[in-house]
Amino acid sequence: MSAQNVVFLLVLTVAAGIFSLNVQRLVRYVRLGLPERRTDRPWWRLSNVLTIGIAQTKILREPIAGMMHATIFWGFIVLTAGTVEIFIQGVWNGFSSEHILWHPLYVLYAASQDAFAVFVLAAVGFAFYRRLVLHPKRLEGDRIEHLDAYIILGLIAGLMLTLLFANAFLSILQPDAVGPEKFVSRALAAPFALRAPRVALYAHPVFWWSHVLLVLIFLNYLPYSKHLHVVTSLINVYFSNTSEKGEGAVMRPMDLEAETETFGASDIEQLTWKNLLDGYSCTECGRCTAACPANITGKALSPRKIVVNTRQRLMEKGPAVTGEDMAFFGVDLLHGEGRDAAESLGGNGDSRLGHRLLDNYITEDELWACTSCRACVQECPVSIDQLDIINQMRRNLVLSESRFPVEVQPAFESLERNGAPWAFNAADRARWADGMNIPTIAELTQRGERPDVLFWVGCMGSFDDRAKKITVAFARILQACGVRFAILGQEEHCHGDPARRMGNEYLYQMLAKDAIDTLNRYAVTSIVTSCPHCFHQIGNEFPQLGGHFEVVHHSTYIERLLQADLVPLRTEEGRRLTVAYHDSCYLGRYNDIYDAPRETLRRALPVVNLVDPPRARDRGLCCGAGGGRMWMEERQGKRINVERTEELLATGADAIAVACPFCMTMMSDGVKAKESDVPVLDIAEVVAGQLSTLSAAIDTS
Amino acid sequence: MKIAVCIKRTPDSETRFRIGASNSAIDESGVKFDMDDFASYAVEVALQMKEKAGSGEVVIVALGPDSVQETLRKAMSMGADRAIQLKADVIPFDGLAVAKALAAELETGGFDLVLFGKHAFDTSEGVVGTATAELLHLQCVTAVSKLEIANGKGSARRELEGAAELVEFSLPAVVTIDEGIARPRYPSLKGIMAAKKKPLESRPAQLGAPRVTVKSMALPADRPPGRIVGEGTGAVAELVKLLQTEAKVL
Amino acid sequence: MSNILVFAETRGGELRKVASEAVSAGRRLADASGGGEVHVIIAGPPGVAAKSEVLGRFGADVVLALEHPALGTFAREAIAATLATRAKSVGYRAIVLGFSAQGRDLGPRLAAKLDAPIVSDIVEVESSGADVLTVKHPSYANKVIVTLAITGSPAILSVRPSAFTATEAPRTPRVETIAPALDPAMERVKVTQVVEGAKGRPDLADAPVIVAGGRGLKAPENFKLVEELADAFGNAAVGATRAVTDEGWRPHADQIGQTGRQVSPQLYVALGISGAIQHLAGMRTSKTIVAINKDKEAPIFKVADYGIVGDVLEVVPALTRAVREAKQGH
Repeated sequence: MSAQNVVFLLVLTVAAGIFSLNVQRLVRYVRLGLPERRTDRPWWRLSNVLTIGIAQTKILREPIAGMMHATIFWGFIVLTAGTVEIFIQGVWNGFSSEHILWHPLYVLYAASQDAFAVFVLAAVGFAFYRRLVLHPKRLEGDRIEHLDAYIILGLIAGLMLTLLFANAFLSILQPDAVGPEKFVSRALAAPFALRAPRVALYAHPVFWWSHVLLVLIFLNYLPYSKHLHVVTSLINVYFSNTSEKGEGAVMRPMDLEAETETFGASDIEQLTWKNLLDGYSCTECGRCTAACPANITGKALSPRKIVVNTRQRLMEKGPAVTGEDMAFFGVDLLHGEGRDAAESLGGNGDSRLGHRLLDNYITEDELWACTSCRACVQECPVSIDQLDIINQMRRNLVLSESRFPVEVQPAFESLERNGAPWAFNAADRARWADGMNIPTIAELTQRGERPDVLFWVGCMGSFDDRAKKITVAFARILQACGVRFAILGQEEHCHGDPARRMGNEYLYQMLAKDAIDTLNRYAVTSIVTSCPHCFHQIGNEFPQLGGHFEVVHHSTYIERLLQADLVPLRTEEGRRLTVAYHDSCYLGRYNDIYDAPRETLRRALPVVNLVDPPRARDRGLCCGAGGGRMWMEERQGKRINVERTEELLATGADAIAVACPFCMTMMSDGVKAKESDVPVLDIAEVVAGQLSTLSAAIDTS
Repeated sequence: MKIAVCIKRTPDSETRFRIGASNSAIDESGVKFDMDDFASYAVEVALQMKEKAGSGEVVIVALGPDSVQETLRKAMSMGADRAIQLKADVIPFDGLAVAKALAAELETGGFDLVLFGKHAFDTSEGVVGTATAELLHLQCVTAVSKLEIANGKGSARRELEGAAELVEFSLPAVVTIDEGIARPRYPSLKGIMAAKKKPLESRPAQLGAPRVTVKSMALPADRPPGRIVGEGTGAVAELVKLLQTEAKVL
Repeated sequence: MSNILVFAETRGGELRKVASEAVSAGRRLADASGGGEVHVIIAGPPGVAAKSEVLGRFGADVVLALEHPALGTFAREAIAATLATRAKSVGYRAIVLGFSAQGRDLGPRLAAKLDAPIVSDIVEVESSGADVLTVKHPSYANKVIVTLAITGSPAILSVRPSAFTATEAPRTPRVETIAPALDPAMERVKVTQVVEGAKGRPDLADAPVIVAGGRGLKAPENFKLVEELADAFGNAAVGATRAVTDEGWRPHADQIGQTGRQVSPQLYVALGISGAIQHLAGMRTSKTIVAINKDKEAPIFKVADYGIVGDVLEVVPALTRAVREAKQGH
């Protein structure tokens, strides 16, 4: 064993030791979070790692930046094999993978090393260009954040160059060791080989050592950088549930009996280890914040900040609690968006324990600005769940501290007293059905009959004058198609979803359990509703409380009726309309229903010209009413519904179509605010307007 | 500071009432009951005073059947320390009778301040608070929209018709609370859990034979259905005439 | 044949309207019992006895003037004690007061002092027997009318303002001055200041009339139309919808609706308000609702007693002029 081998082993041991020590510290910090089982369905999780992780499907939602990242990422995977080779050379002089690989495979491997090193260099070059020249808004950050990025990009470039030059000079020293497949290295070697081959004697060990040291520096830099995601993101994707839709897109269940001291989360120990791992996995790319309707319209909320703050607080509290301080030259993962919050706190030791995530880092205003639209979750390339943290913190605000915007209290109280989030009389719930000859399920049961389906009307559909028209339109369609349906009538009340979204899990569970009891009493199995919030809540979240019902949204229901040719439509083609459809978040991102409403429009209006605004389908911008925002004032920034309405009006459509009564209110208000006369119609109204049986009754113009 | 708050459990103000079969009470089926709004302002005022003082006790007193215990628990979930139920199967419409029962409970309590709502939604009389004060020989300020207590003295703003009085008084005293003074807090789940463990005493109310009794109840005549008077400025004269002669609000 | 005692309230030395109504109600009670006397106590600063002429016009047989320099402001304890002393020494079938800020204070005190049954806020005396009086009292925020039987004397009744018309039954009353049973200067509750109706506008909670504006006003500067109409009513507060306060045309404190203030004035005038669910929740209990809106389908017309379909920018100035004229003609 040469002296070089000994030095190499020594360096490697120290570097690996420090790294593993820091990893252990990071693991210890993460374990401060609550336990949570995330090891079910291993094959599904593995497939997420392969698609979202390895195939970079979410990164590539943005084609240019996506290709840049994917190139570096795939380059890393490929080049890791080369790094392993070099490390083996550290203990085994003259080792080459050629010794152990089947030759054609070796040739492929060797060529890929050189090719990817160049690709990565090109991608890094573009990354520098992007940060220095293009300045994309979502990458805005503080000085340290940019410095961190430049350090990492510089390190990556250095790794590539040292690798190429190490091989280049090796090819001069041992022409046999580097074959023509390492075409870049050989090309680089060419000028030296001709003029000063002896340089290689010194240059090769310099570049070889530089490469080795850069790898080890890079490794040990990661735990102090947002680029820790290099280590954590694949792990995070494995443990994440965010790619689920429907029943998977539900709010975290909560056992109100079990907990007695704290409810929800105000600090890191009340979050789960997975929420904390999210913090390590965030590389602050800002895609979540760039898609956030609250942030876009100038509100305090930035989903990226929520995650970064969680990490910052963990890095503040973790060392104090575990006694394991990983700060090195005062640098740790404290930087990033919202760093001022962490810095302004100051102090150490005990005073750090006096801080908490809520208020010190994340303010109430940020939490209440969320529309729960799930755009952040949808966009995150490493499957971070920003919304889960927000929801848990809202629960803490309401259940433990009774803190919420003042205007929310009447909604809570109305839910308690009237079973609807507005102060409307429960006795008026079925007034929309007066004279329509629609039976209640109680009446049917008394007659010994059973409906095909129960129409869950929802509070908007029952009380709001505009939404009542949607309710009537849908009921008319069902009647025209001969569907035997019933309503709960006065026995219906809110399922509690608004309360749940606003953090009031206690009120939610009371309402939901009561609703489940009512539905079970009538042995209801099949439900249709014209409200995506009711649809999601009853269908996907009731199972948490033992309520299992098959729920169909009216867009899907009408589409099926149209498909089965059961809807008596007018035969004439009518006016050619250009219609812009606005996606509901709870239908789309929560339940993956994008086509049913569009298909319904196409089938009902044979000559319709459907257009999408630039943000559509899973990128659709929220109307602004979700997450309980319907019951809160919008005091900060531009109104979300106006922003969205502008996008829809810019399509030049003759009409805006929605499939949600909340979207209806927000878009109608938006159109009014823009002083436009473009009508906003629910898809049920469009279809009802085409019914041959009551062409005159409903006017869709 | 020791504060008593006398509260009442009343039907939700949004209720569309029906008269019960006896014709002397409302039909309570399907009617939601909760703490009376004015009583909830009084509870909030008491809690804020205790918080401001940094110490003290807030005791809630209510007269009524066992269902009133739920309302007492609600007050405790807001933060009150303990509660007393003066048990009675029905709450008489006789305000003085109720005041006597409350005064009998309160006189030995050693309270610095006794708060009531200005009146209760159901009986809408505003008798009990002031009558209780008189029975306890205490000074009383009614319909208070601002209240400050400091060094054993109180100062308050009291709403009159189109005017207001600023008054000063010494403690102990009885104060009845008007709206606009404070927004009652929403009980947290933490508070609800804590309230389950707080003491709630129950003893029979000392109610004499009532001298005011309900003979009958009736719903007022429906208000005439709304109508469109007309279109544009031409309809203004007709509207003003209707406001003067029919609605009598001008 | 039984006598009735009435308290005729004054403020700033002037009789309040409800005082004559209480005297008139007392007169009718006395007449119904077969012709008893109506004794009226009036309290105020020296010289207040001069009001006895007015009291006589509505049926007072005897006016007992309680004059004291300290009675320029309301002295609840002194007046209650004086009423109680009088009632104890003479013996009345009923004591009638106005259901006003003063009456709310005095009635229950008197009831407790005399151990007498009391009913507040009555709108009608249905029958008056020797032992039992039956009266009507609106309860549950006027949603239920309760008929109550009152057993025993004296029955203490406070009458709702404007519910009993003051009808003339003129006579010349005997005027006596009486001494206060407690020194009015020694009140335990000291009135330090009377804040007369604000020079600006009354608060939304107090105002008998509220004029509110919505998005139909189109621009913040058009809100002056709302203010001018409120000025024309004289006693009106100004409110706004959430859309308007969200736009920053008006402060958030002005917002009427579920997320803002909940009001129920005698008259609610909705200008350019379509009647969104959240707005209706804040004003549906108003006694009379007037709506002006250009969309005749607007939900506000379903709750409005009177509606005008038209552009608020045209109709409101005309309405303001008409209201001003009507007020002057009054």
